[in-house]
Amino acid sequence: MKKTVITTIAAMAFSCVMTMAQEKGYVSASLESTNHFYVEDEANNFIPANQPQLGEDGIYASNNYLKVDYYNGRFSAGTQIEGYFPYLVGYPTNLKKMTLSNLYVNWRDDSYSVTVGSFYDQFGSGLLFRSWEDRTLGLNNAIVGARATYNFKDYVAVKVLWGIPRLGTGNDNGEFFGFGLTKVNVAGADLSISLSDIFSMNAVSLALEGSVLNKHEAISDDYLVERGYSPNILGWSGRVNFGYDGFFAKGEYVDAGKQMVNPFNPPADGNAQLIELGYNGRGLGVTMTGRRMKHMTQRLTTYSMLGTDNPVNNILSYRPAMSTQYTYMLTTLNPYSPEVGDKINKSGEIGGQIDAFYNFRRGTKIGGKRGMKIHANFATYYSLKGADDTPSELLFRDFSVDIEKQWTKKFKSTLLYSMQNYNKRHENNGVYIGLSHIVVADLLYKFTPKFSTRMELQYLASKDDQKDWMAGLIEVNFAPHWSVFVSDMYNHGDSKVHYYNGGVSFAMNHLRVAAGYGRYRAGFICSGGVCREIPAYTGANLTLTASF
Amino acid sequence: MKRLILCLAILISAAAAAQVPSVTVEDSKGESFNTKELLKEGTPMIISFWSTSCKPCIRELDAVYDALPDWLEEADFRVVAVSTDDSRLLAKAKSFAEGRGWGEEYTLLFDKNQDFMRAMNVSVVPHVFVVDANGKIVYSHTSYVPGNELELFEAIKKSQKKKK
Repeated sequence: MKKTVITTIAAMAFSCVMTMAQEKGYVSASLESTNHFYVEDEANNFIPANQPQLGEDGIYASNNYLKVDYYNGRFSAGTQIEGYFPYLVGYPTNLKKMTLSNLYVNWRDDSYSVTVGSFYDQFGSGLLFRSWEDRTLGLNNAIVGARATYNFKDYVAVKVLWGIPRLGTGNDNGEFFGFGLTKVNVAGADLSISLSDIFSMNAVSLALEGSVLNKHEAISDDYLVERGYSPNILGWSGRVNFGYDGFFAKGEYVDAGKQMVNPFNPPADGNAQLIELGYNGRGLGVTMTGRRMKHMTQRLTTYSMLGTDNPVNNILSYRPAMSTQYTYMLTTLNPYSPEVGDKINKSGEIGGQIDAFYNFRRGTKIGGKRGMKIHANFATYYSLKGADDTPSELLFRDFSVDIEKQWTKKFKSTLLYSMQNYNKRHENNGVYIGLSHIVVADLLYKFTPKFSTRMELQYLASKDDQKDWMAGLIEVNFAPHWSVFVSDMYNHGDSKVHYYNGGVSFAMNHLRVAAGYGRYRAGFICSGGVCREIPAYTGANLTLTASF
Repeated sequence: MKRLILCLAILISAAAAAQVPSVTVEDSKGESFNTKELLKEGTPMIISFWSTSCKPCIRELDAVYDALPDWLEEADFRVVAVSTDDSRLLAKAKSFAEGRGWGEEYTLLFDKNQDFMRAMNVSVVPHVFVVDANGKIVYSHTSYVPGNELELFEAIKKSQKKKK
């Protein structure tokens, strides 16, 4: 099956491309290479030899991605190759050697499109189904199969797809043509009807949408069948989108079908509800989100990875943390990882957030000559009562406010305050709910239009966990090519460990090279609201990105 | 493997200047928008890929926003800001752009599953392109430090000179 799919795609891609290359088209490509050189560091509790992928005396790891696309009018084709020599510390362990991860051909007309080979897609917010790539997470669950879309004017949009999702780079031998394909296949359809276009409602936008997805994975264990598990997991979602004069409202209901929570129990019903309300206009942007998730386990492979550690890339839906994604060092020490409900005593979460942005325009009393921007956010999430009667409790709550002001042509400041309440008891069987207050000052000064410096001063006050922290960063920029920085994050409240870091980067047109050295703390790397746990490590890094 | 390398070699040898591919994204009203539509106005443009969690991207778009009134006196062009935020931050990205006044000056597009980003071979943001009036990419740059925005304007002016 696998071989037939791959051979067909390769043959189609090759013959189409050979024909089209005779005509006038263009190629676009990108290369990304991240290289780490590890150093033993007792203070950071890091010994490279303890990382199995590095080997006994290994200190080097490297993640690489080469992507090439060819476009010619309505036709396009492309490929991606991934290489892990070996994978960087903290990445999923199912990334091995070099593999052809993506290969596709696509034809796109005004009203329809057809893709054969690898593709990414999502239905609605992605709660029911999402395939995407996030290199920060080591995730590329592209579907290898076929997809067709059709639009009838602006009234109706239909999408149907079938394929095999990929996971990691496949087996331990890292077959180049293996694609990392799984023994799962998915078939789905998505429909969107724009009522406001059909009935010519000019001031209002109103759309009804729905999706259905079936995931098939053979079951080889009889006891799973006896407990009511089926090779087919059927899910669906219904959505409504409404907009009027800057106001918007969105609602989504997802029934994810029979989900596995514990193989020794019967399957549980997975479902989620999502609401978004807001207003954007006149310099004001407000967004409110509410979400409840129950047993949204939604793994890519359910039955074939029983009894193994579940890697972060074993997902085929998008259930991110719906809270602010902080970027300053001390604000990211305790990021929120949502409770999707994949355990008996952890059946899900309910909560919401509100974000408000306002621009005090230039020339107003508060805005002054150059304007001022303010943003505030509040988010709070609680766990659902567990199937074993575990009570509901606070999982995460945060409040933050930041103010940006351009004082003169040369000087700009950003001030941020964040309060974070996080539940260590729930996360990893710790014992407390922590509270921290963080303040950040981010100051940018331009000496000349091309020579500038930026400084960050940060402080975290807490009576919990590792108590107080302080951090600082200085960056010096020489436009258009060079940038140099040094930073330090110091836990003076408890461990007395410095997490220092320094680096230099050079960027010119299509190329960027960055080199650095630093000590990194154990914790979570989060991207797009999905987090992966990383161990502490120390070492040098060299990153190259190029696009042509 | 050999076939694949041969195929890539043929492609690269047949290459012309890169252009803006046709991809469906969302506009600020949440409606579908084909990126080919961007070329219809026939003016050069700056296409900047950004996200709400990318501080340098925001700095760059703010710097362009501040310089825009002066630049537009010298050249006729548009700025397209493409948010690469996932559906999780899509609504927030729209509010964010409104709260910075970008909506008044920029064409705002939202690429929630990163289809346009992939099609333009953007691996990390910020990544900015200058496209001439014929839709050809004449300049691109990854990362941002204060002052890089001046290069964008130079590229815009150069592309207009070529046109004449």
